[in-house]
Amino acid sequence: MNVGVRFEGVSVALDGRPVLRDASFEIRAGERTAFVGPNGGGKTTLVRTLLGILKPATGRIAFLGDGGREVPRPRMGFLSQRSTLAFDAPLSAEDLVAFSLSPGAGFRKHAEASREARAALLRVGLTEDRLGVPVGLLSGGQRQRVLLARAVAGAPPLLVLDEADTALDTAGLATLRRLVTEEVAAGRTVVYVTHDSDAMGGADAVFRVDGVVTEEPVDA
Amino acid sequence: MIEFLSYPFFQRALLAGALAALLCGALSFFVVLRRLAFVGSGVAHAAFGGVAVATLFGVPPLAGGLVAALLVAGAAARAEGSSVTEDSAVGVFTVAAMALGVVALGFVKTNVDLFGLMFGNILTVAPADLAVLGVATAAVLAALAAFFRPLLLASVDEEGARVAGVNTTAMRLLVLVLVGVAVVVALKVVGILLVSALLVLPGAAARTLAARWPALLAGSIAVALVSVVGGLLLSVALDIAPGASIILVGAALFVTSLAAGRARRG
Repeated sequence: MNVGVRFEGVSVALDGRPVLRDASFEIRAGERTAFVGPNGGGKTTLVRTLLGILKPATGRIAFLGDGGREVPRPRMGFLSQRSTLAFDAPLSAEDLVAFSLSPGAGFRKHAEASREARAALLRVGLTEDRLGVPVGLLSGGQRQRVLLARAVAGAPPLLVLDEADTALDTAGLATLRRLVTEEVAAGRTVVYVTHDSDAMGGADAVFRVDGVVTEEPVDA
Repeated sequence: MIEFLSYPFFQRALLAGALAALLCGALSFFVVLRRLAFVGSGVAHAAFGGVAVATLFGVPPLAGGLVAALLVAGAAARAEGSSVTEDSAVGVFTVAAMALGVVALGFVKTNVDLFGLMFGNILTVAPADLAVLGVATAAVLAALAAFFRPLLLASVDEEGARVAGVNTTAMRLLVLVLVGVAVVVALKVVGILLVSALLVLPGAAARTLAARWPALLAGSIAVALVSVVGGLLLSVALDIAPGASIILVGAALFVTSLAAGRARRG
């Protein structure tokens, strides 16, 4: 399913301080959309609102399916520069991705979630012998790959990257770019916060976020 | 020692200890992962105030303890994202509840087993206490099993869990409420001062040796069981207070596991 997003007069305040004012714009389905702007301009606040972590003070966010009709909030993949994953989390890479894919009630892992988790972990370049290792025992680069695998596992219709490129080494960045290209080719929507709109191999749409959101022309 | 095992009161003590170990051992897994040691201690101390006020008004003490424990657990949950930090909220409510308890006990005309309240009296566990402990243990374990995956995910990666669709606020409140219930029903076994230790020691000891959750959870329950049963047997052998004996065995297991973990890592 292709999913686009429409922000309708969205304003967000943090601790009573307005960060984002009356944002109205559309993220087109199946495209790469970049959000650029100065530090403190509200880029991360915008994606956290898109993800449902923050609630808008006013306005709403509509998700648009085929033919532009509204659909329920879809599952989203997310990778940020700074993860809140505990450094000593007692979960293996496979557990973390599978539990995130299928976090519903229950004690057992769902077999399908485990299969998808393994496929995603191998897709980001983790080797078979690393899948069962607790994430706390992985190197920083491997952990970031696990989080990247979690973001793309199960083919979420929307992939949201918050300056994810800054936390990756050269090889990891190449993997991220390859995955973004593959996701867009498969019809999925990719949204990323960046200081360089070309970071993911070029954007189809660029928005500047500095308290307000304005669309910028895309270089041909 | 063998003779003791044939006494019904000792059999009840062993069964109550095993149930409390199951309850606290399983919860300790989450208490340690979420770094809730201070909250657990605060909830236990607040229960003292609730028990004292309930005694003053002729209400079942456990009910009073449960209300106080849940109030502090709720305060800790409400502190999330507010200007009052969790440790401040728990600290304030804990000392206020304890002070209220001391004032209430001043007006109580009957004898109150303060020593039993503070340090537990597992050898006086009655069949009715066992029933309460059994039902509470079953209910807490069922809740943990039912919400295990979202609880675990929210405990180790709050933002990742929220993006995955987990209601992390509800999960936090659930853990705190379960801790409140465990504290109150385990009071009889180890007392107010020591019940928080039983919520921390098993998970902390297992954490030094286990890197993955299945071993950590099993280890936490095993350490709790060995602490309670071992402590109880040791208290008979050495004629010492069972509550303190249970915690000392748990502390010894923690120190041993810490040394073993360090030796293993070289």
